[in-house]
Amino acid sequence: MRNICLIIFLLLPFLSAQADTMVVEVRIKDHLFFPDEIRIPADTKVKLLIKNEDVTAEEFESYELNREKVIAGGSQAIVFIGPLSIGVYPFFGEFFPKTAQGKVIVE
Amino acid sequence: MLLNAVIIVLREVLEASLLASTFLAISQMLQRDRKWIFFAFSLGLVMGSIYALSISSVSMMFGGAGQEILNASMQTLIYLSLLVFAAAVPHQNKPLFRNLTIISLVFAVVLSLSREGSEVLLFITGFIGVPTLFNSVLLGGAVGAGIGLSVGVFFYYLLIHLTPRFGVWLGYVILLLISGSMMSQAVEFMMQADIFSSTAPVWDSSSLISERSISGQLLYALIGYEATPTLSQVIAYIGSMTLFIVIAITSSTLREKHL
Repeated sequence: MRNICLIIFLLLPFLSAQADTMVVEVRIKDHLFFPDEIRIPADTKVKLLIKNEDVTAEEFESYELNREKVIAGGSQAIVFIGPLSIGVYPFFGEFFPKTAQGKVIVE
Repeated sequence: MLLNAVIIVLREVLEASLLASTFLAISQMLQRDRKWIFFAFSLGLVMGSIYALSISSVSMMFGGAGQEILNASMQTLIYLSLLVFAAAVPHQNKPLFRNLTIISLVFAVVLSLSREGSEVLLFITGFIGVPTLFNSVLLGGAVGAGIGLSVGVFFYYLLIHLTPRFGVWLGYVILLLISGSMMSQAVEFMMQADIFSSTAPVWDSSSLISERSISGQLLYALIGYEATPTLSQVIAYIGSMTLFIVIAITSSTLREKHL
């Protein structure tokens, strides 16, 4: 029991504070992202609500943002990003990388 | 679409294939029956299909964090079974521990296969509704899976043909790296789901080895390479490897005392 308390205590600094988070909606249609440029403020946590309107599945992926999430066809998913410093963070659809390209612009 | 399918399926298959072939080689070095791999493979594929079929509902569980929580749990369970394995190997003259070594390996392979397998299945089945592309995706997927499996087979033979002493050591080092990689990825999923808070990366080695490059992808599959890890990921990586070493050493010291 004492060990469990210790583990929870050690994890506390890493646990996230649930405050009002800015939500940005992204649609996937015909293997393209709409919008394909997402502008967000620096040092802010943002909730991406990604709606896949294609019949095919897609994987939202970004090396720069360290994010990856499979979204089945005709369904939606949530991905949290940030807080980020100013810069451009490309993302892409791993299943259709030729067309499904976009970027998060932090300003 | 053909080449695209080759690459996507290869990437997923490669991870599971390297893990499975390492475990297979280790069980060969421990002079075990290797039949467990067929059982693990079949069970992994069944579980992967179930995961793929239910991904939409899983995804929206826990306020949209279901997929991350499930993935992070699976990775933590793989890590825990590696710890059980490390603890059980030195005592394998006892039947209980002998069975534990195989059970932990089967468990890890099944979990790893279900995760990677579900992604491959989701990718391929998505094309059932697109008949013009379905054949080339199937063909590409088969080629990708073939290459991934061949690399695994090659790796297996490489490991078992090393001198036994060196082979066991290398096997342990790989398990250690998989441990770190699993826990660092689990932490990343917890940040993606906003359960752990995300912080700025501790370093950026993307100019040195980009995660987009082939070497970056291979390093990701082998040692869980990240070009821009956060502090919590680095702590998870080092912490989980340290615990693995401590358990492996403690367990073999205990055996020596009993002898």
